[in-house]
Amino acid sequence: MVKFIFFLLIVFSNIYASNFDEKCLSCHQDSFQFNMMMKRYTLKYSSEEKIKEAIFNYLKNPTHETSILPLGFLNRFGIKDKSTLDDKTLKEMIDIYYDRYNLKSKLY
Amino acid sequence: MGTNLYSGEKKTILYVLSLYLSSTLLLITTLFASYYFYEQDKLFHQEKDTLKKYAQELEDKLSLLNDENSDKYKYPRFENFKSAIYDIDKKLIFSTMDDKVDDFNDEYFTKDAHSFCISSISPYYFGAAYTVIQKETSKVFDPTKLIFLALITIIFTIITSFFLVNIVLKPLRDNIKLLDNFIKDTTHELNTPISTILANIETIDATNCDEKSLKKLQRIKIASLSISNLYQDLVYLLLNHKTSLQNEKLNVSEILHQRVIYFANMAQLKKLEFVLNIQENVFFTADRQKMERLIDNILSNAIKYTKKATKIKITLTSNMLCIEDEGKGMSAEEIKNIYERYRRFDKTQGGFGIGYSIIKSIINEYGINIEIESKIDKGTKVTLKW
Repeated sequence: MVKFIFFLLIVFSNIYASNFDEKCLSCHQDSFQFNMMMKRYTLKYSSEEKIKEAIFNYLKNPTHETSILPLGFLNRFGIKDKSTLDDKTLKEMIDIYYDRYNLKSKLY
Repeated sequence: MGTNLYSGEKKTILYVLSLYLSSTLLLITTLFASYYFYEQDKLFHQEKDTLKKYAQELEDKLSLLNDENSDKYKYPRFENFKSAIYDIDKKLIFSTMDDKVDDFNDEYFTKDAHSFCISSISPYYFGAAYTVIQKETSKVFDPTKLIFLALITIIFTIITSFFLVNIVLKPLRDNIKLLDNFIKDTTHELNTPISTILANIETIDATNCDEKSLKKLQRIKIASLSISNLYQDLVYLLLNHKTSLQNEKLNVSEILHQRVIYFANMAQLKKLEFVLNIQENVFFTADRQKMERLIDNILSNAIKYTKKATKIKITLTSNMLCIEDEGKGMSAEEIKNIYERYRRFDKTQGGFGIGYSIIKSIINEYGINIEIESKIDKGTKVTLKW
């Protein structure tokens, strides 16, 4: 019984992280790219709220206009496909992404 | 006369001086004030420029920092100023200042001896949409030196103004002096002929004259006395401001007797009778000439304005002198204006109308009270109390 509860605790405490690992990092393995993305979003959108909103809007409906990729990359790789995640999960994932990579917390 | 001219001159000098000084001071104040405000404004702009420069420095540093790739970024710190960055929603990102900025409307403001400058930047390095620069406010332009300079200028102006007034008023003053001297000389020249006439009349042997000539002689004598009296008044007025006071203990009773004798001839002509009630040995400390002028003026007024063949009562006690006539009297209105120089109510009588202004100046000097009681067609009673 105690073992079971302990197991559940571990599962639930890791559920978001593992979700993010599963839903994002499974393809975007390189965290360097993630850092670059965050930097570009921050440069363009400044505040947490606006960055999250921009990422969400882009992932729901990626276009050339809303992409923050440099033109060279965009021409070479094109824009990504629409996210298949539902709004709630997507928002959660974006929150985790922001928490992990935001520049504000990296300043000292 | 003389006194009038001098006080008039003083007044003019004061007017010109105050006009000149006030206009000059106004000019100086305006100049210095505008200089002060100009300096302050300059300082304000300098401060602003410095802050702008600092803001640019911070932006450059942030830009460089943004190009780095690292897990941690060291926020740029400066010796001269403190700074903070805010995101587009005006939320604090990072700050080295103690204060928090709430108002982003003012581009430049000062608070608690600190100057602040808020500028917006783009792109948003580390999300910074606004940079806030805080530095200690440069010392405000020190006005003490300026005030000191202004004081020196003002003192210099005052000194020059005195010279200026002297130069401007010199012709005027010369004219006044000329006129003054002329009147003085003329008055002085009167002395000799009057004295000669009086002295010669005294020496004429009355017994050798017939009655008719004697009467004429008497009239000449009275006329000369009147002129002499007038002369005395003029001398008093002209030298009023210069006479050295020679106060001494005067026997007023004696002087009064002398003056009554002096006016006896004049009284005789109008068939007046003096009723004397003089207490002997009344003393009063004053200048003899002034005391004589005082008594003479009151007495001659009484003689001049009383009716023919009446009595003039003269009463002297230890603290009061009273001279009463039976003349035409004055109204209350006339009494009020009596001290005005050249004021004469009765044009039928000769005179300059300077008598009462002389009386007034003397009683003021010695602190004597005067009471004038008068009833029209009944007479006038002048009482001096001390």
